Amino acid sequence: MITLCVMCLGIIAGRYFFSDKFKTANGLLQTICTVLLIFSMGVTLGKKDNFFDILLSLGFDSFLFFAFPTAISVILVYFFSNRLLCDRKTNETDDFNQGDQ
Amino acid sequence: MLILALIALITGILCGTWNSDNIIISAISLHKNLILYILMFSVGISIGRHHELIRKIKEYHIKIFIIPTGVILGSLIGGIICSFITGYSVYDGAAVSSGLGWYSLAGITIENLSGVQLGSIAFLSNLMRELFSFFSIPIISKRLNYYCCIAAAGATSEDTTLPMMIKYTNEETVIFSVLNGVICSAFVPILISLCYSF
Repeated sequence: MITLCVMCLGIIAGRYFFSDKFKTANGLLQTICTVLLIFSMGVTLGKKDNFFDILLSLGFDSFLFFAFPTAISVILVYFFSNRLLCDRKTNETDDFNQGDQ
Repeated sequence: MLILALIALITGILCGTWNSDNIIISAISLHKNLILYILMFSVGISIGRHHELIRKIKEYHIKIFIIPTGVILGSLIGGIICSFITGYSVYDGAAVSSGLGWYSLAGITIENLSGVQLGSIAFLSNLMRELFSFFSIPIISKRLNYYCCIAAAGATSEDTTLPMMIKYTNEETVIFSVLNGVICSAFVPILISLCYSF
């Protein structure tokens, strides 16, 4: 919850107090913080006694958590877009082809 | 960023394995929460700077939310299914899949909330999603439709996978891709927090 509130404060700050000239610095700050936190995560992982034993099971679980959400997302968007969006896309494609002729 | 993240992870694991502790490593570990808050504030600034978002929402109306809705719903359903297979709780499973491909934020946020094991799974699974979407966009664009490319990419559709969208889809899809990325990115911390509120 605190992280959400901090993010909301950031949104307000970005909307009203920051200009585009800070974009590069903001991006750099994000990169530095991300790298430090991932490093910290790695240290905690490495300190585990049975780290290399659990690495294999982590890999398989990670694969499942990648495969199912990705596949179901694609299926749902395919279903929604065919019903609600693709008419517009098809019309634009037809207009484009006629333009070529 | 991907290479940096992998280097940071591997370096951290090696430091942890060798039990090499110095002032810098201890300081980073002790002030993890502060670094996370700074990161979240910075992410908020990035979202707040997207002035075009409101204008594009007015232009495309409700259709702009069709793809992010499919991405979020599909990811949550997939995460819940995985929780039954792997034995994690439904909330843990939904939280991991709520990363929507944003591996760095998902990994460190979930590690903070639920522990390093689930944080690592969140990191790796969302990393795999980004890598898969990057290389599969050419195939998905031919076999299914352009919008499904955005679905595979999830929150990464506004940056990492955008060059592939530009090359293998059309202009309208690129616009939807950027908007989807912004909306999904804004939802990632919200969804993860919600999963751990119950």
